[in-house]
Amino acid sequence: MTTDAAKTPEPAAEVVLLRSVSKVYGAAPHAVTALDDMTIGFRAGTFTAVMGPSGSGKSTLLHCAAGLDRPTRGQVIVDGTDLGPLDETGLTLLRRGRVGFVFQSFNLVPALTAEQNVALPLRLAGVRPPGAEIRAALAEVGLSGRAGHRPDELSGGERQRVAVARALVTRPAVLFADEPTGALDTRTSREVLALLRDVVDRQGQTVVMVTHDPVAAAHADRVVLMADGRIADEMTAPGDRGDVGGAGPAGLRLRAEAIAVRMAALEGSC
Amino acid sequence: MLSLDMVRGGRAGFAGAFVALFLGVALVSMTALVFTSAGPRVPARYAGTAVLVRAPAAVQADGSFLADRPWPPETVRLLTDRLKAVPGVVAAVPDRSFYAQPVIGGRPDPGRVEGRPWSSAALAPHRLVSGSPPSGDREVVVEHALGLAPGSAVTLLTAAGPVPYAVSGTADGPGLYLGDAAAARLSGGVRVIGLRTAPGADLAAVEAAARTAAGSLGEVLSGDARAALETKADARTRWIGTQVLTAMASLSGFAVVFVVASTFAFGVMRRRRDLGLLRAVGATPRQVRRMVRGEALAVGVAAALAGVAAGIALAPVFGDLLVAAGFEPPGFSVRITAWPPAAAFGGGLVVALLGTWSAARRAARTSPLEALREAGADRRPMTRARLLLGSAFTAAGIAVAVAVAGTRPEEIVTLALLAAMALTVGIALLAPAVLPPVVRALLWPPSRARGATWTLVREGSLAAIRRTASTTAPVLLTVGFAVLVTGMVQTTAGAFALGRTAVVRAEAVVVPADGVPGLSDAVVAAAGGTAGRVTGDTADGGAGSTAGGVPLPTTVHPDGMPPQAALGAAAWETGGSGGAPRAGTDSPGEAGRARKAGDLPQGREGSGGPGTVVVARWVAAERGWRAGDTIRLTFEDGRAEPLRVAAVAGDAPAAFLLPRDVVRAHDPSALTPEILLPGPAPGADRLGPLGARALGPAAYAASSRDEDDRLVWLFTLVLVGTAVGYTGVAVANTLFMAASGRVREFRVLRASGATPRQVLGVVAAESALVTVMGSLLGAAVALPALLGIRSGLSRRVGASVPLIVPWPAVLGVVGACLVLAVAAGVLSVLGAARRAR
Repeated sequence: MTTDAAKTPEPAAEVVLLRSVSKVYGAAPHAVTALDDMTIGFRAGTFTAVMGPSGSGKSTLLHCAAGLDRPTRGQVIVDGTDLGPLDETGLTLLRRGRVGFVFQSFNLVPALTAEQNVALPLRLAGVRPPGAEIRAALAEVGLSGRAGHRPDELSGGERQRVAVARALVTRPAVLFADEPTGALDTRTSREVLALLRDVVDRQGQTVVMVTHDPVAAAHADRVVLMADGRIADEMTAPGDRGDVGGAGPAGLRLRAEAIAVRMAALEGSC
Repeated sequence: MLSLDMVRGGRAGFAGAFVALFLGVALVSMTALVFTSAGPRVPARYAGTAVLVRAPAAVQADGSFLADRPWPPETVRLLTDRLKAVPGVVAAVPDRSFYAQPVIGGRPDPGRVEGRPWSSAALAPHRLVSGSPPSGDREVVVEHALGLAPGSAVTLLTAAGPVPYAVSGTADGPGLYLGDAAAARLSGGVRVIGLRTAPGADLAAVEAAARTAAGSLGEVLSGDARAALETKADARTRWIGTQVLTAMASLSGFAVVFVVASTFAFGVMRRRRDLGLLRAVGATPRQVRRMVRGEALAVGVAAALAGVAAGIALAPVFGDLLVAAGFEPPGFSVRITAWPPAAAFGGGLVVALLGTWSAARRAARTSPLEALREAGADRRPMTRARLLLGSAFTAAGIAVAVAVAGTRPEEIVTLALLAAMALTVGIALLAPAVLPPVVRALLWPPSRARGATWTLVREGSLAAIRRTASTTAPVLLTVGFAVLVTGMVQTTAGAFALGRTAVVRAEAVVVPADGVPGLSDAVVAAAGGTAGRVTGDTADGGAGSTAGGVPLPTTVHPDGMPPQAALGAAAWETGGSGGAPRAGTDSPGEAGRARKAGDLPQGREGSGGPGTVVVARWVAAERGWRAGDTIRLTFEDGRAEPLRVAAVAGDAPAAFLLPRDVVRAHDPSALTPEILLPGPAPGADRLGPLGARALGPAAYAASSRDEDDRLVWLFTLVLVGTAVGYTGVAVANTLFMAASGRVREFRVLRASGATPRQVLGVVAAESALVTVMGSLLGAAVALPALLGIRSGLSRRVGASVPLIVPWPAVLGVVGACLVLAVAAGVLSVLGAARRAR
């Protein structure tokens, strides 16, 4: 079952690589192992969905891979940089330049307009971005008319699309999404997932998404199922062997029903 | 700049910090401007005289404003002759003043109570507008504004009684001017000689020559130093004003520092989630720190500038209020100078930045993951630094409160305030550790009842204990101040009332009419001459002294001592005071001091006769005088007289008790304050024209301490009003900030099935909880200081002083806090409570 994960992938093609990563919360008697000696890579231009029951460690995986949290043991390499030796500022600078992040709860700065929110990472990097570029980024996510609105004037779907635009504005090597559709209804979920699929297909963006929704996961090229801090199962879209923009017609995609079955099997076994 | 965008966008969140700093800087700059304006000024009546010589002034005790020792008449002549000879000096004008008050339309004019010789009008200078200078004994020059034409008649009240005068002319400035000889007969001694100089005279040379001429006999004043010539009444009023302003400045200054620092820190804490978010999208810790400080700077500069502007605008208004209240002398005006507002601006900004400093450091350490977590529980509410600092302040506060009990009387209030301030800071810092048991204890009974409200309140307050601590702090400060200031004033007043065993046993009391400073001899004669008696009496019934006749107060100058109060009466009896009507007028402090000097021989019972003086025991103890000694006293007219000590009084209403005619002979302008009558008073038709009126015993008792009570009450009002008013605003402000930051949380509550009423109920209950806890802690903070004051006063009075806290007033303040807190909390979440989104 874990044969794919046990193989050491080719480092050159991996945008994000975790080697023997463990994450333990708390002290000895009450310690909780969220990640248990996990090794996994994410190749450039692919869309990976990480699934698993609550407490399986999928969010911890995402946080460690994105440099938001530090593993207890093991090595994390993002876009060729080992995160281990970086201090908090170094980690922040790497995140700012090479990593995009989309959260379940949108997490836009309420005081700033959509346009300002999108420009935020660039401005934090000390770049004053041309307004045209930011508006283009907003147009790309279908929000050209909403640049001047504050988050509380936008719908949930719109907010998440602003968050995606913000995550992509620095042209990151990898985009992480933590339950990006968790707070959205079915229709807007589909819009956001289509948007993510689109950036993978058209721009060759690497996307790693944590979700518990098989329908959402069906948009990915590859689904990793986790349990107890390990990889329990893995599925790959039939038509996709890692070529950039390789997701083919719908027929070659993973089917939500198949994912749901594998998930159910996993939850049943533990 | 990023931080400016954040400030502009998050207006609501920064409004609280803005309001706190704006009001604080306005309050401090206003007080500071008034404070710095309150220096002495060159009196208008000497404005036109460049060089003046005054009699050497003795250093008096703080709060004592008796007239300085005048020159003896022969010294005045000697000095005048010498000064006249100085090149460039046209005339050396001895200045003197006496009591004179015009009766206009049948009523004594309360604004004009001083007469001077016409020659001294040139010192202002005031010039004739019409008519001619006064000549003879019955002519007067009056202020033109009085509306009396030359040739008309005017009655002047003098120390002797009403005297008819003819107006010989009118002058362009205030004052009543008699001929020099007539004025000299009505006045006491000379303390100031003004030098009229020839036009174009070298003033520096005149001053130097005057210094040589005066030698050690006088002090030469010029320029701003002439401000030393202000009247003792003005000096006293300014002194009271300075007490008020000092207390107000220190109390409100502390409140401002406390509120501004905690509001700015709270503002940062409230936005921890936002800051975590910024960290998540790529802000480095350094950037977060700089941003938080940048925001504080932006908000701070704007708020402090607005505050300074408001302070400058309000200072003159506040100054006028102080004049109206009697805390500053008439003619006081606020000078707008640069440095008090500049200091308030800089200080306010520094405090805001300091308040933000440690909060910014904490914020910078925020993990990006904070943004992913739901607004959560405080994991480490107490940092080690906070615990250490809080414990240190609390310990220091208790130590100072203990020290209050043993300190010198004049330091009691200062130390008590310090103790309360240290305790306030200490408890506020320790609040995250102190509050959880208080929350549990207070909410144990209601949270066992049905319904979710109290459980939600309890768990919400406990989980976000730092927020609870932040909202409790301003209530703590408000109630602490209210308990401390009102309790301090009442306990002190109570201690003095304890020493005042006065029983007025008189049928009637004759007092001056409104606006009249005292009673003339004509009133005394009308009331029956020697009808009244007064005694000083000790609480233990020891030796007292009884005045035969109506006492006449004056100031005497014993050799080697600062000026002292003295009373003249027809006769003084010491020892057994029998059943004579008494009015104790002594302060408990002096009574206590007098009693302790028990080793001194007491005068035999008897009365002081001509050429004798009765000396208060504390003076005798200080100077080593005994009955039978002959001492030398200098009087109001500058003349000295040897007097035999007839007796040492265990308790005396003044330092020296003299025969009344001796006082009258040396102080022609002395006035009688009041006359106690054993029988009915003369009718109003007789007293009215003399500037007097009669009161029954009840009306007298009610009025006797009116002026002092009024000032003390106003003083309390000003202190409590400014400090508590400001912290009250802070209460509303903080609760508004706290509740508006939790709109999300309340929406969740709505989504989980709470009705809008229930959500508002939770908010109101939390506000109420915060108010109750703040009030309890506030009372706890004030109590050690009050207990210190009580034992300090008990020691001073020599009897157990009860601790008086005016609970209705304190409960009023608590109630106001409750209303403010609940209203602020409910208003800020009203919208969220309605929507379930």
